[in-house]
Amino acid sequence: MDKIATGGIAKDETATDEIILQTRDLSVQFGGLKAVNRVNLTVTRGDLLGLIGPNGAGKTTIFNLITGSLVPTEGEIIFRGHQIGGKRPDVIARMGISRTFQNIRLFPQMSVLENVAIGLHAAPKYTVLEALFRLPRAVRSDREVNRKAMEHLERVGLAEYHDAKAGSLPYGLQRKLEIARAMATSPQLLLLDEPAAGMNNEECQSFIAFLRQLHRETGLSIVLIEHHMNVVMDLCPRIYVLNLGEVLAEGDPREIQRNPAVIRAYLGERRRTARAGDRA
Amino acid sequence: MGYLNSIFILGGINVLAVVGVAVLTGYTGLFTIGHAAFMAIGGYTAAVLVVKLNQPFWLGLVAAGFAAALSSLIVGYPTLRSKLKGDYFAIAMLGFGEAVRLLLNNTYKVINGAIGFTGIPLYTTSLLVLALDIVGIWLIRNFVISQYGKNCVAIREQEVAAELMGIDVMKTKLWALAISAFYAGVAGGLFGFYMTYLVPSMFTSSKSSDLLAAVVFGGINSLTGPVLAAFLLVALPELLRFLYVWRLVIYGLLFVIIMIFRPQGLLGYRDISWASLKRFAGRLGGGGRRSGPGLKSPPPARVAASGGGR
Amino acid sequence: MVLFLQQLVTGLSIGGIYALLAVGYALIFSIFDFTNWAFGSLMMVGAYGGFFAISAFHFPFWWGIVFALILAGAVSIFVEFVAYRPLRHRGAPRLFLMVTAMGVDIFLTNLAVVLIGGSFRPFPGVSAQQVVHLGPVNVGRLDLIAAVISVSALLALWYFIEKTKPGLAIRAASHDTATAGLMGINVSSVAFIVFSISGVISAVAGTFFGIKYAVWPYLGGISNKAFISSVIGGLGSLPGAVLGGVVLGVLETMVSGYISSTYRDLFAFTLLVLTLLFLPYGLMGKKVQDKI
Repeated sequence: MDKIATGGIAKDETATDEIILQTRDLSVQFGGLKAVNRVNLTVTRGDLLGLIGPNGAGKTTIFNLITGSLVPTEGEIIFRGHQIGGKRPDVIARMGISRTFQNIRLFPQMSVLENVAIGLHAAPKYTVLEALFRLPRAVRSDREVNRKAMEHLERVGLAEYHDAKAGSLPYGLQRKLEIARAMATSPQLLLLDEPAAGMNNEECQSFIAFLRQLHRETGLSIVLIEHHMNVVMDLCPRIYVLNLGEVLAEGDPREIQRNPAVIRAYLGERRRTARAGDRA
Repeated sequence: MGYLNSIFILGGINVLAVVGVAVLTGYTGLFTIGHAAFMAIGGYTAAVLVVKLNQPFWLGLVAAGFAAALSSLIVGYPTLRSKLKGDYFAIAMLGFGEAVRLLLNNTYKVINGAIGFTGIPLYTTSLLVLALDIVGIWLIRNFVISQYGKNCVAIREQEVAAELMGIDVMKTKLWALAISAFYAGVAGGLFGFYMTYLVPSMFTSSKSSDLLAAVVFGGINSLTGPVLAAFLLVALPELLRFLYVWRLVIYGLLFVIIMIFRPQGLLGYRDISWASLKRFAGRLGGGGRRSGPGLKSPPPARVAASGGGR
Repeated sequence: MVLFLQQLVTGLSIGGIYALLAVGYALIFSIFDFTNWAFGSLMMVGAYGGFFAISAFHFPFWWGIVFALILAGAVSIFVEFVAYRPLRHRGAPRLFLMVTAMGVDIFLTNLAVVLIGGSFRPFPGVSAQQVVHLGPVNVGRLDLIAAVISVSALLALWYFIEKTKPGLAIRAASHDTATAGLMGINVSSVAFIVFSISGVISAVAGTFFGIKYAVWPYLGGISNKAFISSVIGGLGSLPGAVLGGVVLGVLETMVSGYISSTYRDLFAFTLLVLTLLFLPYGLMGKKVQDKI
């Protein structure tokens, strides 16, 4: 992964202005319900984009559409110049989009190391024949994968747990592991679905630092769904607000916090800058 | 002596078939109750090739494996698509088992239908079975510790996430199925050339239940467990004759009890490897404390395979 | 032409039973999201229950049938309590549920083999041979009664599920069991109702096949047709189950009449494969989305 130095994360300071992901009039309909309605999003390379909105606004649904778990009923999703709407999830993943989940989806009985390794060898690096006969290429590849997986673990500070069963880790570390696993796929775009869910203030602060450093070191484009307002406002120079499946507003944290429609729909009566985000 | 020899051979044949089912069900999580059909296909293919077409035995066995593996596509391709639940596959396997037996029972040309294919020479020896078991287990162990094997486990553990991390779920499942069918096919071939005759009623759902039982009792995500269980499930009913009649009743009951109280079976998630034997010996000698999950042990790459995270 | 009508009528009556069976299976699948393999052995339980009630305990015929229904319903509920519920409450993966269900099926079937014996027994108190003449077509009296019973049962079920309060609870649970529970629906009661209905249905079909063919431990093998019907119609969909059952019954009987009766079951499997190849979600399939 390239280490692009993006010291300040404001939009106009990123290395390139290349649009990495764009949705045009993206919609999905379940029976009579339009869960996502003509959503237009743009993610620029190196962005750390926030996606917020009340529960049921369609945020995770948009993630599901982007990653191929759902097929759009209308509209387009364009990733690095390719139409990806309706493609198979594993194909999209191999094209460079990876994600974490609202409800943690680790492989609980596999070790921490093995979980991350999946990210590296989801598309196996040798043939079945070479696997069956344990040919040198397979042995070397496995060794290499393990080495790289350890590096990923070291980067997120989980190296000492490499042998533990993933399901036995405490909650906060499981979330970190999910991120490490997603990063192991060498994505161009990382979608994080409520990575700070269930964390208290202190944990949120260290998570903010963690994510900021990760973003700085790797230059990954990240889209973040979060309910903890302090996390989003602190980290994301640009934020989309969703409500009832539609984009309500877009802007930097200050603009969002001042936007009356947003306040009405989401932040409730409190007109102060959001602090210690409550789950809606 | 001949009696023990026969237990060894039948047990060894069972091991081969069971090890395939272990990969499909124990590692990949796909429930199958019809693998006897693959044994039947393999058995008859080998018998026809060798007895009717005068081909060498080894070719018969290889063909048996491939015939079974290819036929597995008939069931696998329509049902293993990533969005379809495992029930589709299970139901199709059930139907496949019936269909195969029906076809075999009613084809009197060449294979003599329900009356049976007789006159098969006794080519299966205990040495052959031992050799094939060793080679077979080694190959499958390699598959299981490989990137393919790990992908299979990921699919079993969390299919949604596995796919979203880039695993081609259908292709991986088809490989697991094809390999398990191949093994069952070869086992069927060995079986025919031991019994010296083949009859479709040898391959009923009871046989499939026997195979599944060895994996359930032996343990999920393990090879050692099912191998041991495969052998025991042949030896015990032979040695304890009165149990034989009741064996399926006991299996059924045990399925439920094991799923409720000890779903990982005997040796689930565990395998015997040199490293684990050394650890075990060390504990016997030094009386050390049982190692917990956080213990620092060498990274998996340098250790002779363990079946899963330990 | 007469042959066609003949096969059509017979096919519809078999299709009716398949439809009923498929609904019994689909009910549980749509709510609890697993395949109750024990369904087949429950058919056998019903058949033997009726058999012994009539032949050994001298129940009058219809009381024997009633006994069969109650027995199968009770066993079904017992199995749910003892084998399935503990696993569901633990959030066990579907592989474990399938193994357990298969365990129950193997246990019950082979218990019958060991205790009662594997031989075929004719169902007492009734002759399956009688024929009724409907114009140019001859129909077995049994088939006709079966058709009437299955249609009535399906209609009654439809009414129960669509028009009553417990039925509403069942529909809610089949959409989303967890949410239904949170909304105050007593999922345990729903389970009770659904498993007893399923048990009764299996007994109806079990006694029918026991009368038509014979009572023996492997009678439950016909439940495969229920599973296949449900897949063809769309797994998890109740109307799909009915449609699949009727389609399978009619087509199967046509094949049996025009081509060969030996290959009936082979045809069922072929139809299954073809359907899955072209319509993976069946004729009326519900595309089930995992909540991600």
